[in-house]
Amino acid sequence: MSGGYRQIDHTADVALELWGDSEPALLDAGARAVTELLTEGAEVTDRAGRDIAIDAVDAGDRLVQWLNEIIVAAVSDGFLYRAADIELDGETGLHARARGESGAHDRVVAELKSATYHDLVVERGPSGWVARVVIDV
Amino acid sequence: MAIELERVDDYRYRIPQRGDMRVPGLIYSSAQLIDDIRQDRSPQQVVNVAHLPGILGCSIAMPDIHWGYGFPIGGVAAFDGDEGVLSPGGVGYDINCGVRLLSSRLERGDIGGRLADLATALHRAIPSGVGSKSHRRLTAAELDRVLVRGARWAVAEGYGRPDDLTCAEEGGCIEGAEPGEVSDRAKERGRPQLGSLGSGNHFCELGYVAEIYDEAAAAAFGLAAGRVTVLIHSGSRGLGYQVCDDSLRSMLRASARYHIALPDRQLAAAPLASDEARRYRAAMTGAINFAFANRQMMTHFVRQALADFFGARRGDGDGELGLDLVYDVCHNIAKWETHAVGGAERVVCVHRKGATRAYGPGHPSLPEAYRAVGQPVLVPGDMGRYSYVLVGTERAMAETFGSSCHGAGRRMSRAQAKKTARGRPIFREFEDRGIFVRSDSAATVAEEISEAYKDVADVIDVMHGSGIARKVAKLVPLAVVKG
Repeated sequence: MSGGYRQIDHTADVALELWGDSEPALLDAGARAVTELLTEGAEVTDRAGRDIAIDAVDAGDRLVQWLNEIIVAAVSDGFLYRAADIELDGETGLHARARGESGAHDRVVAELKSATYHDLVVERGPSGWVARVVIDV
Repeated sequence: MAIELERVDDYRYRIPQRGDMRVPGLIYSSAQLIDDIRQDRSPQQVVNVAHLPGILGCSIAMPDIHWGYGFPIGGVAAFDGDEGVLSPGGVGYDINCGVRLLSSRLERGDIGGRLADLATALHRAIPSGVGSKSHRRLTAAELDRVLVRGARWAVAEGYGRPDDLTCAEEGGCIEGAEPGEVSDRAKERGRPQLGSLGSGNHFCELGYVAEIYDEAAAAAFGLAAGRVTVLIHSGSRGLGYQVCDDSLRSMLRASARYHIALPDRQLAAAPLASDEARRYRAAMTGAINFAFANRQMMTHFVRQALADFFGARRGDGDGELGLDLVYDVCHNIAKWETHAVGGAERVVCVHRKGATRAYGPGHPSLPEAYRAVGQPVLVPGDMGRYSYVLVGTERAMAETFGSSCHGAGRRMSRAQAKKTARGRPIFREFEDRGIFVRSDSAATVAEEISEAYKDVADVIDVMHGSGIARKVAKLVPLAVVKG
C-alpha cells in the first residue's frame, strides 16, 4: 500500500491533496496527514489499536467521515493514528483496525474542527486514487 | 467563470438573478475591497446560496466576505417559514461563535506599568489553547441542563450577574434545545470544555476605548473614552463542531430525499418543516446555549482575575470595577425572527454565517437601555490593531434582515502567516506597540499576526457608509490571551 499527501495553501483553513495506489492507501494517507496536522509532525508509535466502522453516502462522504474519526479519536481520546488495516465495502462501507498510540492528549497541539465537504474530490485515475479535502481549523 | 457584479452605489454590488438562482445576490463592499473579493471566488458562493428553496429578498454578503463552507463567511440568507430550508452550512461548525464586550470603571492609567502582569493574570484565569478544559467537571445531567438553559444555567451556578442576561442576544438562551438530539460524541467532546476559550482565532482581549464616534450610543452602552474594556471571542467548542458534522450527513441524505439541488454539497439542507430540520434545530439550539454558557463562565473568570489584580472585592455583584456586560452577539447562527417581507411582518429563518445581528432602534427584543439607540454590534479586528463597536439601524432591518459584518477576515493562509513570522520576535513586536500577548502556542500567535488579516476599518467603513450599522467606538488592545 503506497500513498502520500501534501498541504495546499488555503486562506482560512487547511487543504490537503491525497493520493494512493488504492483507495485504502488514499484513506491511510489522509489519516496520516491529519495526524501530522494535529501533532505538528510528531512521531507516533504502534502500541494501541482502535476499531473504526463507517457507513457513508458515497466515497467522498466516506473520506470525510474517516478523517473525522481520526480527528475525534485524537482530541477526545488521545489516540494518535499511525497505520491501519482498512477494508472497504463498496463505495460506502468501511471497517478498519487503526494502530497507533493512546493516551497522547498532550501531543495534540493543533485544533482541527472537522474535515469538510467543501471542494471535496475523490477520484480514481490511471495512476491511482487522488483526493482533495479541506479541513476547518 | 467570473461572476457578474453590478455596482449599485459606493457600498453595494448586485449579482443579477440568472439561471437557477431564485433571488439576486447583494454584496456590501467598497471599490477598495471588491477586487480581493472577486479573486477569492466567494461571489460564487453568494450565487450558490441563491439557489436554495424559499430564500427571500437577496443572498446577502457583508464586506468581510470570504470563502467558506457552502455559505460564504459573511453570508446572510433568510428563508420563508413554510417554503424555506435550514442548512448547517449556513451556520458553520462553530455554532454560536460570538463575541461579548465588558465595559469598566477602570481607566487605562489605572494599569500603570503592570500590563505584562495583567496579561499573565488573564492568561492564568481563562483556560485557553488546544483542547483547553474547563475548571469544572460537569456531570452528564449538568451538561444537559447547560444545553437547555445556556447562560441562565451559568448565572444560576454563580458564574455572573442576573443582569448579564439582559444584555445578551436572546438573553443568553434560546428555547427549544433537546439534549437527546445532541449525539453522545458531541457531548463527549464538549463536556470537558465548558468555560474555555479554545484555540485558533479565539481570544480574550483587554483594551480601552480609543475613540468615540457616536456620543449618545456610547453613553447608552456605558462606553467612555479611555476606559478599559474586555472582549471575549469564543463559541461552542467541540460540541458545536460535532453537532455540525453529525447534521451534515443527515442533511445530505435529506437533500436527496426532498430533491433539493445542491450546487455545493456543503449547502446540504432540509425543508424547515421536515423531521431532519427539526432535529438539527433542536441540536443546534443546544450548541447555541452551550456557547452562551461558555462565554458567561469566562466573563466570571475575567471579573475574578481583574478583582484580584486590582485588589477589589471579588464577587460579581460588587460593581467596584464595573465590568458590566455591554452585549453578547452571535455570529454563526440560524434564528427564527420576525421581519418585514413584501410589506408584511412574518417569521423567517435567518442564517448568519460570520455575520452579526444588528437590530435598529425601537426593536422590542433590545434591552430597555438600548432601545432608543439600537443594538450594539461588536466587530473584532486583529489583535494588533483595533476592534469596533457599531449600532444597528433601521436600514439594516430594511435591507439585511437586521444583519451586519462580524470581523476582518483573513487575507493570508496560516502557512503563509507562519512563514512571514518565522525568525521574528513576534511577542516582542507586539510589546513594542504596547500590546502584551499571552498564549500557550507561539505557532497560533504566528498564524494570527496582523498581516494575516484584512484591515477591519475598511470593513467598518462599508457598514457605516451604507447605513447598515453606524460607528460608535474604536477599541484598541492592550493585553491579549490567544488560544
